[in-house]
Amino acid sequence: MARLAAKAVSKTYGATKALRRGDLEVEAGEVHVLIGSNGSGKSTLCKIVAGSVRPDNGELLFEGHPMVVSGPNAARKIGIGIFYQELSLAPHRTVAENILLSDLPGGVFVDRKALNTKAQRYIDLFKNVTGDNFHAGAIVETLRPDQRQLVEIMKALSSEAPILIFDEPTSALDRAQVDRFFEILRELKDDGRSIVFISHRMDEIFALGDRVTVIRDGETVATKRIAETDAAEVIRLMVGGDETLTAAEPHQPTAVAATAKTVLAVDALSGDGFGNVSFNVAAGEILGLGGLHGQGQSAVLRALFGATPPTSGTVLLNDKALASSSPRATINRGLAYISGDRRRDGVIAGRPILENVTPVHALKQRLSLATPSSLREKAKPALEALRTKFAGFSHPIGSLSGGNQQKIVIARWLIDRPDVLLLDDPTKGIDLQAKTDLFQLIRKLAAEGMAIVLYSSEDAELLGNADRILVFNGGSVTRELTGADRTPFNLYQAAYEAA
Amino acid sequence: MTTDLVAAQPARGNALKRAVERFPFLPALIILVVLLVLNGLYQPRSVSFIGLTGLIKTYLALMLLAIAQTYVVYAGDIDLSAGAIVSLVNVAIITAMDALGGGTGAVLAGLGIGLLVGLACGIVNGIVVATLRLQAIVATFATSIFFTGLALYVMPVAGTPAPTAFWRTYGGRILDIPFVLYAVIVLAVLLLVLARTKLALRLLSVGDDQQAAFQSGLPVTRIRLQGYALCGLFAALAAFCITGDTASGDPLVGGKMTLNSVAAVVLGGTALAGGFGTVTGSVIGALIIGLIGSLVFFVGTPSEWQNLVQGVAILLALMAGILVGRRASR
Repeated sequence: MARLAAKAVSKTYGATKALRRGDLEVEAGEVHVLIGSNGSGKSTLCKIVAGSVRPDNGELLFEGHPMVVSGPNAARKIGIGIFYQELSLAPHRTVAENILLSDLPGGVFVDRKALNTKAQRYIDLFKNVTGDNFHAGAIVETLRPDQRQLVEIMKALSSEAPILIFDEPTSALDRAQVDRFFEILRELKDDGRSIVFISHRMDEIFALGDRVTVIRDGETVATKRIAETDAAEVIRLMVGGDETLTAAEPHQPTAVAATAKTVLAVDALSGDGFGNVSFNVAAGEILGLGGLHGQGQSAVLRALFGATPPTSGTVLLNDKALASSSPRATINRGLAYISGDRRRDGVIAGRPILENVTPVHALKQRLSLATPSSLREKAKPALEALRTKFAGFSHPIGSLSGGNQQKIVIARWLIDRPDVLLLDDPTKGIDLQAKTDLFQLIRKLAAEGMAIVLYSSEDAELLGNADRILVFNGGSVTRELTGADRTPFNLYQAAYEAA
Repeated sequence: MTTDLVAAQPARGNALKRAVERFPFLPALIILVVLLVLNGLYQPRSVSFIGLTGLIKTYLALMLLAIAQTYVVYAGDIDLSAGAIVSLVNVAIITAMDALGGGTGAVLAGLGIGLLVGLACGIVNGIVVATLRLQAIVATFATSIFFTGLALYVMPVAGTPAPTAFWRTYGGRILDIPFVLYAVIVLAVLLLVLARTKLALRLLSVGDDQQAAFQSGLPVTRIRLQGYALCGLFAALAAFCITGDTASGDPLVGGKMTLNSVAAVVLGGTALAGGFGTVTGSVIGALIIGLIGSLVFFVGTPSEWQNLVQGVAILLALMAGILVGRRASR
């Protein structure tokens, strides 16, 4: 009998089905790897098991008995400890306080001595690999990202739970830290603990795992013994067999004439989250950025746009140097940036549609006074190009669906045409029809000579639209896919290779 | 072990930085000392023993209310009804003491009732904000109107005097030492004890990152509710002091104190976003507001300008605090 089993659990957030049918069985004394592409539902499944997300349907069994997990606290009591991918640390508290936060020693008062001794036990597990300034009394906020990740690991370990879940625990760790962590996990496994481990790195999966469960599009597709499978098979399971390989027909590369003018030339660009990135984009070309989520693609686009200026490297726009010092500067030079994070980068919440379409126009034309009617005239063709549905220019943007809100944000850039369009996962959370409209427009813009850089977390979008794809891994470009090489298999393989 | 810690903390940064990290209320303390010196220059008697005792006697209520506010701000919440709770407790204890005859027993019973009223108000706030999940700033504004309404029902017009036994004790001396100094010592011990509780640490953790605290298995709703309950209790203590100071009941006495308590918390270096701060800082912040008030008076500001000058002075104090803090963190 499996120690922990999830049977057909599902979860829907609004219109998005985060998890359609998650099945998972974990035995005592095994490391069970969970793998799947971006947004396939791995984290949701883990959060359901750990009690921080409530499932809509399905059943959880602990040693054969149905269990109700009413919250993280209840899960801990049952015996489930979890490492959260996005970390669950209190930044102003000390390392020791964070490690033992949910189970502080003492009664009414905090027993500081016991707190430090107990926390020190977990800190000592990582002796010599924690790096400078890491001690029980260090404030978490002052630590490096890898050190914070270690604190989250120690926190999960301190639950001493028989079932431990680690949701991408190694993304920020260095080699020595990963090695030590894996040693600890092997010891725990030998003690009979069950470990669920999510990773995107094939080498880690095969070094550590006993069994692997593959999730695709929110559904568990297979569970295999690691000893009886190989990387190619796991990737095939993630991609979805041969049918999908042919179904996602790659977009025929636009015949970008060899003489086409290079519009944007990026050379050795470095910044927060990426390093030494170089590429050229020609007029009329759609350049795709691919790879796993958060490997530096967004960071490169935001750096080019000046939202988080790069630290070094040169950028030429139409053969003239471009200083990406602020969005205001790059917009005036002819850059456009559309982000999938509408709330952060796009929508001006609570304001009418007209005001949401016109700010870039106002900046570029240095408008100080304008009549609403003249602005409406300019906004109309831009919105029609996207087949945007809206009741009136004066309606608040919040009254529209996510897809239509994104269309408004895109229309903003179409009144005065930019030379380069930077797309940062632009279809996140929008419906299929809006996606189709959007990509039709993008191809049209490219055909008219705009240079386009597209990052998408959905591989099908990249394969279906990009002329070339640069695969990112660990903040740099590891592979370039052109022509017939642009297949789902190649894209997955390049993305999942160890950095 | 000790050597390990020393080795792990190299002597980077200057002494000021480390001091501010250890004692975040240090900038406020510097401002307090400057204000004390200025007060002394314009009115030497104000920094005498009697002068300082008077200052504490007048501002002990604000200190307590600032402490009350600190515990909810710890968790990233705010209580805009703190002043209204003071008013309600003030009229409740005066009415109760009056009805019970005004003797020592009546006074003690009245204080007990006052604590219960404060606690009840705090729990109401906690239910509204933490359990029903209404916006703290608006919800406690609404409860402040409700509490004020209750206070006006209990005592429609100001003026009922407090029993002599009560205000004589508050303003008097025991063994030739002013009563308020005993109160300050008891308060200091109480704060030291409270700072060591799990509740304080948990409130700060919730304020740091509520989602993270929830995912770590902390009972977030209960913790925030406890913060409001603690706030209600300290607001009741503040009401005792203001009753001792004014010696009468007034259903609107605490109204102006609410925002002063928030200002004191911020002056003391506590983050309004939650997760970071000290109660000591809030006490110092309350004293700063008090000293600014008396300095404006001692300097001889014409009465029609006093509000304006006081406002500018509080702004300056806030800026000075931020500047000192920023220099230290460099």
